[in-house]
Amino acid sequence: MTLLNRVAGAHPGTSGRLSRLLAIELVVFVLFALMPLLLGLVWSEDDSFFWIVFTTKVLILCLFGLSFDLAWGYAGLMSFGQALFFGGAAYAVAVMSRDLDISSIFIVLPVAVAVGLVLAILLAAFLLTGSRTPSIIFVAFGTLTGSFAAERLARAWYYLGGQNGVSVTKALTIGDMPLYEGVGFYYLAFGFLVVVYIGCRFLVRSQFGLLLAGIREREERVAFLGYQVQLTRAIIFALSGAIAGLGGGLYAFHEGFVWPALMGPIYSTQAMLYVMLGGVSTLIGPVIGVTAIEFATIILIDYLRDFWIIILGVLLLLVIMFRRTGLLGMLVSERERIGSFRWRGANHKSDSRGD
Amino acid sequence: MSNLIKNNQTKGQLTRRSLLQSAMWMSGAVATGLGSWVFPAKWSHAAGPIKVGIATDLTGAISFGGIPCSRIAKLAIDQINADGGLLGRPLEMYLEDTASNEQIAVGVVRKLVQRERVDVVLGGITSSMRNAIKGIIVGRGRTLYIYPQLYEGRECTPYLFNTGPTPAQQCDKLIPWLIANGGKRFALPSANYVWPHVLNEYARKSIEENGGEVVMEEYYPLDQVEYGATVKRIMDEKIDVVFNTVIPPGLGPFIKQLYEAGFLKRGGRLSCVYYDENALNFNTPQEMEGLASCLDYFQNIEDPFSSELQAAYQKRHAHKDKVLFSAGSGSTGMYRGVKLWEAAVKEAGAVDRDSVAAAMDHAKIANGPGGPSEMLPGTYHCQMNMYIAVAKGGKYEIVSKADQVDPKECG
Repeated sequence: MTLLNRVAGAHPGTSGRLSRLLAIELVVFVLFALMPLLLGLVWSEDDSFFWIVFTTKVLILCLFGLSFDLAWGYAGLMSFGQALFFGGAAYAVAVMSRDLDISSIFIVLPVAVAVGLVLAILLAAFLLTGSRTPSIIFVAFGTLTGSFAAERLARAWYYLGGQNGVSVTKALTIGDMPLYEGVGFYYLAFGFLVVVYIGCRFLVRSQFGLLLAGIREREERVAFLGYQVQLTRAIIFALSGAIAGLGGGLYAFHEGFVWPALMGPIYSTQAMLYVMLGGVSTLIGPVIGVTAIEFATIILIDYLRDFWIIILGVLLLLVIMFRRTGLLGMLVSERERIGSFRWRGANHKSDSRGD
Repeated sequence: MSNLIKNNQTKGQLTRRSLLQSAMWMSGAVATGLGSWVFPAKWSHAAGPIKVGIATDLTGAISFGGIPCSRIAKLAIDQINADGGLLGRPLEMYLEDTASNEQIAVGVVRKLVQRERVDVVLGGITSSMRNAIKGIIVGRGRTLYIYPQLYEGRECTPYLFNTGPTPAQQCDKLIPWLIANGGKRFALPSANYVWPHVLNEYARKSIEENGGEVVMEEYYPLDQVEYGATVKRIMDEKIDVVFNTVIPPGLGPFIKQLYEAGFLKRGGRLSCVYYDENALNFNTPQEMEGLASCLDYFQNIEDPFSSELQAAYQKRHAHKDKVLFSAGSGSTGMYRGVKLWEAAVKEAGAVDRDSVAAAMDHAKIANGPGGPSEMLPGTYHCQMNMYIAVAKGGKYEIVSKADQVDPKECG
């Protein structure tokens, strides 16, 4: 297990046994991997199909949550624009499938990623690379405005279907094979989530991640050391846009419908709620947060539709008041949550540790 | 017809419970969650019941339409069951609340087509709702979908049948009538969303073909409530006919300001094609005197079958609340949809999607709200009788009837 811990950049003091954080991550992903099989054992075919489809949506939203965590949790960018990247990419692929009849996964998903990436780069160029150091408030309002404007634009733009949105009636295709929702789509979304997750995990525990941690904690000091602080943040922001874009592309085809609110500030806030509940700057926190909120919503909404949103609000308030590190903060220590940052020397020296 | 009357929720806040659960018509229903019910089959059949899914907005902004839609669907299904069902099999109704929320709708409609495996889905009121759920039903769910509301047209998706009026059906008779009974100079004040844009495109063509002239066509944000400038322009430009697609909350102030500026006094004609009996409460009678509407049904048309249907609906529901069975809510299209589907299943002798769709393509009913109706082959739309009504002293007066108007869609 030492190797696994080392690879995952766990705290060196825990070598010899599996770190708690890593154990949680493994449990979550193994559960997701086995989910369709487990459901098949418990429920009838129709019932388990319904839950597989539902969980696919959850996996896609995990990408959305992850993208917010990357921006806020690791680069200190309070982004209300995540829905802009998510919904923008969803609109792009929906319109592409409607007008150009393109639904091949090899075109659709790269386009979705590119749209998210480009939108994020544009927004970052505007917000972050100006002559003055952007404050959290400035970034929050800037992204909020972008998201709000996009939603209003989509509502009024006839080509995008206006209020009516765009429905995606075609299935995603791999070669000649159509990929409808179900087990196939489930593992596709799962595969993407795993790849993106591992990628992010390496990134935030690398030397680059250390730089990010530095910027997050004390921006000026890092700047004095000669780092291009805003450029570094812009890179992370662009990456988070690309991840949200990937999620949006998958979402459009899986849900079969995109509508203006998908780009709006309310949907952006949803990403924030996922992350706040699950645990900020943890990566696995958003995954847990999305899963908890989405499953609780679908199960409880049948019984408590009128009250559910209030209960959720109060719950979030409590978590944020008493556990600023979210659900995950109740399970792992602060030290483990932040972990350590590997560097070229590969030996874990104290000066390579975070915090 | 997205968004219409969104802010005109019933006063006094009827709760879902009082509307649905305590109501007599819900007796025998089994709740399968707070937003979903099953009305089990009354008898058993070797092949099992035929499952009819109804997905509509029982709560939220569009519930003024969803509630009568669900009730009239239940009435139609009860009638069919009372006559021995279809192909000897009883009908079982699965009712889902789409809650005027597209995101919730996607989930509950999935439940209908993927878990319950219903044989047909009817419902959706707004165009955005139709767009949200149609893919799940006809694409992936491989089920038949019937959309009941008057709307902007252009929905030509296979396996999706539309049973409400289209712009052609609402404009073809009305526009010439307006020119004859109002004048040639038209104003088209509109809310800025898809339905008014497409409807106006058709209306403009029709106005120009009939020798009229569109003097102004303007689009306002959905939440605009101040229309002083618009009213002034209407008065200055000597407009004869105001063909309105502004919706609540702006509608009330707009009509009022227009009245106060003296538009009606100087002989101006108001027209609004979504006005049904519900809309009579939007303004005072004198503010909307002479307003002309064109729909597939009004309560006081002369059609014995329609009167019976209205009586049957009122017998079940009139004592409880003021949710009307009227054309603007999609509920006439809902009844028509269930009956056309019934005719198609009878002809096909089966319930599988392709057989029913093939028969649905030319399905025909002799009686429905407003009169007979018939699907036009290859168009996914149906012809129906259309009526022009004029508001007089807070009531409608039918001034013209057109038989079997062509929807002119998907041709």
